[in-house]
Amino acid sequence: MKVFRGRGGRDDGWTFIEATIAVVIMAIMVLGLTIVLLAFREQLDRSWAVRVMDQYGNNVMEEVTHDLRNATDVSVRSGGGNTSRIDIQYLDPIRHKEILTSRYRADMRNVRIEKDGRALDPTFPPRNLGRGESYEILQFTLAPYGTDTPNRWQREDSFRRKAAFIDAAWELRFKLRYNRKAINPGERNWDVTKEYYNRIYVRNRNLVVHKGITE
Amino acid sequence: MMNEKRRWSDDVGSIDFVQLIVGLLIVGIACVGTFQALQFGNDQLNQQMRYRRALSEARSCVEYWQGRIHTDTPNNLEMNGNLSSPNGSNNDVLIDEGDPDNPNDDVIGYVRYGPIVPIPNAELGKDKRGQTLISHYVIRTRVTWWDPGQSHAERPHEVKFQGAMVPAAL
Repeated sequence: MKVFRGRGGRDDGWTFIEATIAVVIMAIMVLGLTIVLLAFREQLDRSWAVRVMDQYGNNVMEEVTHDLRNATDVSVRSGGGNTSRIDIQYLDPIRHKEILTSRYRADMRNVRIEKDGRALDPTFPPRNLGRGESYEILQFTLAPYGTDTPNRWQREDSFRRKAAFIDAAWELRFKLRYNRKAINPGERNWDVTKEYYNRIYVRNRNLVVHKGITE
Repeated sequence: MMNEKRRWSDDVGSIDFVQLIVGLLIVGIACVGTFQALQFGNDQLNQQMRYRRALSEARSCVEYWQGRIHTDTPNNLEMNGNLSSPNGSNNDVLIDEGDPDNPNDDVIGYVRYGPIVPIPNAELGKDKRGQTLISHYVIRTRVTWWDPGQSHAERPHEVKFQGAMVPAAL
């Protein structure tokens, strides 16, 4: 202690060497902390963006899958790009007297999935995206089992299956990308792609399901 | 006591060098602790994403066998399941891609299903051969995977899923 206190008095203040060392240490720590905080904030922003995308992907998959599980029939048309327009027919769940239809499509421009003309989740994409940030729908397709899969075994297996199985087994794929373009010098473009996948056996297609009767 | 009071009143209120260093040390340690906690939270969220994907794969596998049982009865070999088939087979799926430029950080899920178990129900009666009719089949699937950085010597993460289906209707 005496070393730093010079002559040892309480009110002597700091020596020049003490002050210089303190300033240097503070400067190094503040600089280090600033760099760490900036990098940390960048990571936090990326992580948040990916969580939001993941939540949306799971929401969409659950909603469409739920409707498909209760479907009596499905029709799929091309929706432009790598997307499908999916019409799902199902018996009204309360009285079983009417056939209802849910219509899904991907709105590529506004980056959202629509159900019956309305956004499935109005909170996506978030409105407070920063500069250079964007989301993109790369794929939203519903295809019969084995026709749109990277798995060779499934493709071959689909040729061995009966028509009743192929007509009722569907594969739903939803692919989203988050882009983060470089804004400041020294930054690099960054993106994350997430693919969501569900296989659904539309069991009601192979059951006797009519208006008023569910067997 | 009086001396003590005088000492406090003489104090000009500034901090000395040692106090500064101790203060910086405390702030530094708190920062490191906070960052580690946040990093842990981030890893947990990533793990949850993989878990959800694995669950979706397990459910998809159940859906396949539900469809088969319902429309296109599996043969005896298929009914035995594929729990013992080696990794790298046709049922391996990509759970998490990680960095697209680096194929080594991909997380692969190994999808397996256990023996498909027929559940007889005496109330349904018997078939021509005198055997009790099957009311439904139970299907169990399992997806295992190792997280990035996790050694394959460790026990993998695992998701199990169970479903049931009535016998072939067609």
